[in-house]
Amino acid sequence: MDKIVFHIDVNSAFLSWEAVYRLRIRGEKTDLREIPSAVAGDVKKRHGIILARSTPAKKYGVRTGDTISDALKLCPNLVMVPPHYDLYESCSEAMMEILKEFSPRVEQYSVDEAFCDMTGTVGLYGSAVVAATLLKDKIYNELGFTVNVGISTNKILAKMASDFKKPNQVHTLFPEEIEKKMWNLPVGDLFFVGPATKRRLQTLGIHTIGQLARTDPDILRAHFKKYGEVIHAFANGIDLSVVADEAPPNKGYGNSTTIAFDVDDGSTARMVLLSLAEKVCTRLRADKVMATVVAVSIVDMYFRHSSHQMTLISPSNITNEIFKASCKLFDQLWDGTPIRQLGIYTSKIVRGESYKQINLFDMNRYEKLSRLDETVDAIRERYGEDSVMRAIFLNGPIYHMAGGISPEKRKPKYQEGIAL
Amino acid sequence: MLNMPVDVIATFNVQGKIRPNYIRLEDEEHALQTYKIENIIFSREEKYAGMGAIHFCCNIIRNGCAQTIHIKYHVKTHQWILVCDG
Repeated sequence: MDKIVFHIDVNSAFLSWEAVYRLRIRGEKTDLREIPSAVAGDVKKRHGIILARSTPAKKYGVRTGDTISDALKLCPNLVMVPPHYDLYESCSEAMMEILKEFSPRVEQYSVDEAFCDMTGTVGLYGSAVVAATLLKDKIYNELGFTVNVGISTNKILAKMASDFKKPNQVHTLFPEEIEKKMWNLPVGDLFFVGPATKRRLQTLGIHTIGQLARTDPDILRAHFKKYGEVIHAFANGIDLSVVADEAPPNKGYGNSTTIAFDVDDGSTARMVLLSLAEKVCTRLRADKVMATVVAVSIVDMYFRHSSHQMTLISPSNITNEIFKASCKLFDQLWDGTPIRQLGIYTSKIVRGESYKQINLFDMNRYEKLSRLDETVDAIRERYGEDSVMRAIFLNGPIYHMAGGISPEKRKPKYQEGIAL
Repeated sequence: MLNMPVDVIATFNVQGKIRPNYIRLEDEEHALQTYKIENIIFSREEKYAGMGAIHFCCNIIRNGCAQTIHIKYHVKTHQWILVCDG
């Protein structure tokens, strides 16, 4: 039986979701999707980029990732709304529920994208295009936002197909259609080809996906190693990965935060590191895993990135231990330039029970600290993240669990009307 | 005008069916007025933006006239919302 894979992609997800919320829940009259509008961060907190924009805003040349000031230069009457992550979660969950009604195998690829294995459902919903249209309309009628559905025989082609023309469309890209529908597209449109690869391919004279597909794989391998084989296969529509309904375990846990002001003293930077360690370790402990490698990254005021990593004596998920390691790394890495963004990343994850290498010099500390962390986690689980925090963060400028989605991004403050 | 939360008295029957009976609204003079919900024209379940709600279209008698109003019960937050159809 021929495989059928759907890729479902929400059209300008964050913006559509906010638009539906404002129309249907709050009772506003303007549809954000019909005016030049965007979901944007908070300029004052220096989270000032465009996260999603409406189709009319796209016509002005506003792109996702632009800074707010650049976007306003392109489109002075751009309506900007703050992010609303609680809403995104609820919309995403509701959509996944509908997808699971259609297919037993659904892979959530990101908050607004999913793959569905629709192989063998022809007897249930009719042919693929009929089923996809039904699915798309059901999502629109029930949840109020539009999606694109790409149909093919594997994930890469389905994903390429959903990207063709937006919004609210169903497209097919079966292997026999590759030449006609995909090969004439610019190489930068291919999944997995970012701006850097695009530039390198262009210097090789490869401008379209078709040219990439017909390039000798040996040449690509010489320039891009293993990755060259991957993009060559993708350009030819070859992808052997299957729709996996279970997410693969995390290979690493990391968080970073852009600080509202430039940090020029070590003690404030260490406070930020502590709050990041708190966040990362809480996540490690929640998943019952430990990390062996800790890395610290710094972005300075000139937007220069640097990072440094070390291997711990034995795996850990204890806030104090990860924090200590981060401080050591930070001291070795930092050259004194004011810091804009800090991050802690952990990797080499160890699952389940693991034996702890006892350190001769802090005997008994380990057990005490792990009991402390356990207790703090339990209190936060029950009474909220802010119910208990280290005294150093009291009345300070730094939130005690930095990184990830901060509380103000979860739900914006509306000046009037309801916010459910 | 935006949608707004309102006080409602509702009955929940053994099958889990919900029926709003009275609704309390603020009039032009900012006095609270209670209106009996005379009949329900239709109700339906909604899930816009992933938020489960039951939408009731019903009649109340106000100043001697029947008036159709739309109210929604939000399942997650347990709030009743008067839908403004301006």
